[in-house]
Amino acid sequence: MFVVGAALALVAALVSLWLSLSLALSDELVAGARAQLTTDARLGLLTEKENLLQEIRDIAFEHDAGKLSDADYNEINAKLRAQARHVLHELDVGAGPFRDEAEALIAERLSDEG
Amino acid sequence: MLSLDIPFFGTLVLCLVLISASYTMAVSIGAGRGRPHLLPAARWGTYATCALVLVAVLVLAYAFQVHDFRIRYVARYSDRSMPWWYLVTSLWGGQDGSLLWWAFLLSGYTFVAVRWLRGRYSELQPWVIATLMSILIFFAVLMLFAANPFATYIRTTPGDGEGLNPLLQNYWMAIHPPTLYMGFVGWSVPFAILVAALITGRLGNEWVRAARLWSMIAWTFLSIGLLLGCLWSYEELGWGGYWAWDPVENASFMPWLVGTAYLHSVLIQERRQMMKVWNVFLLSLTFFLTIFGTFLTRSGLIASVHSFARSDIGQYFVWYMAFLLIAIAALMIWRLPKLKADNEIESLVSREFAFLLNNWVLLGMMVFVLIATTFPLLSQWMRGEEVTVGPGFYNKWMVPLGIVLLFLAGLGPLVAWRKATGSKLLRAMAFPVAVGLGVALLQVLFGTRFGFPAVVEPTEIYDTATGTVLAWMSAVAPVVSFATCAFVLASVGQEFWRGMRVRMRKGEAAATALANLVSKGRRRYGGYIVHVGIVFMFIGFTGAAYDVEQERALRPGESMAIGRHTVRYDQPRMETDPNKRMIFTDMTIIDKAGNEDGQVAPAKFIYRTHPQMPTTEVAIRSRPIEDVYVIMSTVDPSTQRGTFRIIIRPLVAWIWLGGIVLLFGALLGMWPTGRELLREEAASPRRFRFSPVTAVVGLAILIATMLAWVGVASAQNDSSSTLHAGSVVINDPVERQLFGRLLCQCGDCARLPLDTCACGWADDKRIEIREQLAAGVEPTKIQESYRAQYGAAALAIPSDEGLDRALWAVPIAAMAFAVGFIVLLGRRWQRRGAVSSTSIDSDPDEKLEYDSRLDSELERLEES
Repeated sequence: MFVVGAALALVAALVSLWLSLSLALSDELVAGARAQLTTDARLGLLTEKENLLQEIRDIAFEHDAGKLSDADYNEINAKLRAQARHVLHELDVGAGPFRDEAEALIAERLSDEG
Repeated sequence: MLSLDIPFFGTLVLCLVLISASYTMAVSIGAGRGRPHLLPAARWGTYATCALVLVAVLVLAYAFQVHDFRIRYVARYSDRSMPWWYLVTSLWGGQDGSLLWWAFLLSGYTFVAVRWLRGRYSELQPWVIATLMSILIFFAVLMLFAANPFATYIRTTPGDGEGLNPLLQNYWMAIHPPTLYMGFVGWSVPFAILVAALITGRLGNEWVRAARLWSMIAWTFLSIGLLLGCLWSYEELGWGGYWAWDPVENASFMPWLVGTAYLHSVLIQERRQMMKVWNVFLLSLTFFLTIFGTFLTRSGLIASVHSFARSDIGQYFVWYMAFLLIAIAALMIWRLPKLKADNEIESLVSREFAFLLNNWVLLGMMVFVLIATTFPLLSQWMRGEEVTVGPGFYNKWMVPLGIVLLFLAGLGPLVAWRKATGSKLLRAMAFPVAVGLGVALLQVLFGTRFGFPAVVEPTEIYDTATGTVLAWMSAVAPVVSFATCAFVLASVGQEFWRGMRVRMRKGEAAATALANLVSKGRRRYGGYIVHVGIVFMFIGFTGAAYDVEQERALRPGESMAIGRHTVRYDQPRMETDPNKRMIFTDMTIIDKAGNEDGQVAPAKFIYRTHPQMPTTEVAIRSRPIEDVYVIMSTVDPSTQRGTFRIIIRPLVAWIWLGGIVLLFGALLGMWPTGRELLREEAASPRRFRFSPVTAVVGLAILIATMLAWVGVASAQNDSSSTLHAGSVVINDPVERQLFGRLLCQCGDCARLPLDTCACGWADDKRIEIREQLAAGVEPTKIQESYRAQYGAAALAIPSDEGLDRALWAVPIAAMAFAVGFIVLLGRRWQRRGAVSSTSIDSDPDEKLEYDSRLDSELERLEES
């Protein structure tokens, strides 16, 4: 069992190394890598949006549960919603280049297919 | 495989691991420095490195199975009579193998993390891989140059091995070290994500989110590993109960304390984008402490029952720790501008501030433990005097801090995020405080009747004012602890009820409201359940104040009464297996009404490889209210007369129950949300994919398997072994206090205090001291003469004067300074707090449109 396991692991290691070296020596950007890099730029804003939504939901819950006074709730809610609106706006602005890029890719594909 | 020359092949594989990890690190750095096409190459390089580590582990495991005693490590930790499962556990039974095991677990984590990272956080990925590879390189260097598990004997090869230490030949060896290592090694992944964030400058919430699941997995394993260690230690007579404040236990406890502080503090960053520097510090410190703890254990610098032999690897750790400190400090300073908080604390009465206080206590406890653990080294270095810091010191100082922490665990949930008005907080606290006070009152009135008096006999560790204050604090600790436990339970219960009530007002039935409440707030309610687990553990810890013990010699058929029980000695019997001879003494526990209430069979095991060290097997009958802990000290084969020591240990079972509850809460907190499940389904509908879902489900299966193993193993053998063959008799509180301050000096045992050590030397010393006490000699005089005879290191607790006083004064001063700093900082933040406004708000139509989108997003969130 140990011998078979070690042999299989060794083969897996050698194959992985070979794949790694062949990828390292080629200059091609693997499909998807560029797209991932570009989407990363939006990730921060999306995370912030999710956090703000969560926080808006949570303070509403804490208000309903009696932990936050009406005055505090209204003040904090207004502040959070303002921040969330700002993030949504930033996301909209940032989506422009993606739309352009997507349209260019579609056009390219369509022209390739004739 | 023998023809392959296992030692040579194993060493060759370790060399390949080093080469492959170095190559992968170089490729990753290239990918991170603007050549993204190298990223897939780095990923495959990682898989290759992990597979090579697996090869090394399997080769060593094979060497154990075929008894290849050319390898020193195999010869030292196994012999031909050991069954295959102990041969597997021998992999991590000694230093060299445990380093390989460490590398193996790290490579496992690395493999899963890199698979999980595919398609996520692509800018962080190269640096995560590079950091993980750098850690693996360190361990590969360590093995190749200082602790090679494949190293061979220079001259002759032994015919048989020395065998694994009998203490380690039990099922706990298969469960506890791997779990604890999983906890230690697990912090590498969140640390690697943090380093990647620092290098790339992406220091928003992205890295926090990426590291969240990994830090929770590491914390859960560390918690369960610590608890399993407690369970093992509890079953080991002579290891000082479930927790002895041994340096190695402390080394595991310190990263747990800081990791717990991080898990709380990072919530503030997630919500408020604050405390970024602090979180970077806490996570870095947690990882650093895992390496520091390993250094303490492996260097042999500090005496411990766990310690591996003194070796050369300490200097490698020192260099690595220095590199870590410099690298982390440099990265933090470089990125300081990007670590500025985006928001401020709005009120000192807020959840954020409660978390700050929680961090204060946790870090204070860590500083206490750190200073006490390293004090012997510091003392030796600064004044050339060897000292010992025994459990008595820790117990006296950590109990009050622990209770404060427990109180904060109950207070935190009652305070609202951002801002809570005083009246709302007081109203929220009313019920939990009433419950706490009610429990205290009940204990004062009826505690003694049920064997749980509110106040216990005070014992002093110093004959100074500090000693008196500490003694009184520990005397009232039981009632304060139980009251605080009740406060926290009521606070958590109230939180569940208030949450349910909010949902019930929307028309949901109670059961549906509870289910929805928990499923939509898993992290929050999972966290509360973890708090309940901690409360249960505190109930168990508090029970230690009521331990009762007795020792007697009995003939078959005779009984001894202790507490509410009578224990009858029935008969001795002997069994054998290929590995050992086992002498059992069957005993029956009888309740107050005279009914039989269980059987126990304490024993002595005589191992073939270690006949000179018969082990004492403890038998435990466990019930929620108390454990009956039975030790057979001696049995005469001709007369069948046996000497037995019985200890009644109240509430210990609550510690283990707390562990199960903690595990449940942690898994609930980690369990992916419906949205995460759906996202995974959409991303990859057909093939298997690493994700939070697979990670958490895998973790749940792994832990369930381990617990099942514990259950099966416990059913087969509910006892464990120790090398201490004798037993301890304590006659009165004066003896307990004095023996607790003096360490055994026989030179062979683990230098346990005389109130615990059961070796012959300790027994003789107790008799001698008893005679002195009977002659009217003051305990302080006896202590001074013991110190004069054997040196300062013979005292379990350093004196309360001169440099020794720094042991508690430094942490107390640090905590006092920190609390002042926190309050000042909070006030400053409060003054600076300002409402942020955006340009969108100036256009009413646009504002309306975004508000409407926000409402739909919130509805989506509610439905998910």
